Amino acid sequence: MKSSYKGVILLALILFASIVCTQYTVNMYFAQRYMEVLLLSGAAVVLFPLAWMVYSKNK
Amino acid sequence: MENEKTRPIPLKDDNYTHNINRSNERNLDRRSFMKTMVGAAGLFAASTLPWGALAAKELMSSSSKSYPTQKIANLSDIKPGDAIEFAYPEEHDSALFVYVAEKEYKAYQNACTHLRCPVFWDRDEKELLCPCHHGKFDIATGKPLAGPPRRPLPEIVLQEKDGAVFAVGVKRYEEQL
Repeated sequence: MKSSYKGVILLALILFASIVCTQYTVNMYFAQRYMEVLLLSGAAVVLFPLAWMVYSKNK
Repeated sequence: MENEKTRPIPLKDDNYTHNINRSNERNLDRRSFMKTMVGAAGLFAASTLPWGALAAKELMSSSSKSYPTQKIANLSDIKPGDAIEFAYPEEHDSALFVYVAEKEYKAYQNACTHLRCPVFWDRDEKELLCPCHHGKFDIATGKPLAGPPRRPLPEIVLQEKDGAVFAVGVKRYEEQL
């Protein structure tokens, strides 16, 4: 079976975004910019089901 | 020849790992790799939740935040160049008071903004120095000068009264930046 690497690349990008969001969440917390913390942690949480969807479409 | 039934992978499917001798090599296939990435994304998502909760707590209580007044030292007991370590506002928030020159003093919470090592006053260089990774901070503003830290040290608001110095608050970052 020929497999496409589109899903893998997309997932890698989502994981990268997830890492960046996590890092910035912690940074913004210590910079006392709490609204940004909420937005970034929300983004990190939203990225997980997105990754799940990409996985189930491409597995 | 191996028994067909005892093979972990049926012979007819074992068509692209025949040149790989390591066991479990098939477990590192594309699907497992994707599954690992999804799991990692989930882990990161879960790890941001406590920070979100802490931020929400801070957002709800920040308007009513008040700081105690705490005496640091009598100005007559110290001379320019001296530094005093104290704890403010809580007993585990270590802070550093620096008597830079006559009538000129500064205080910062002295947990380095890189990895929270205690920051020391370097009298000769007139800088705040974190010995862990040689982070340096400006004594006048608390801004990082060198090394890994990126954020300034939180400044403590000071007040002079009756020949003594008191800590009366901690500046928020928005006011400092």
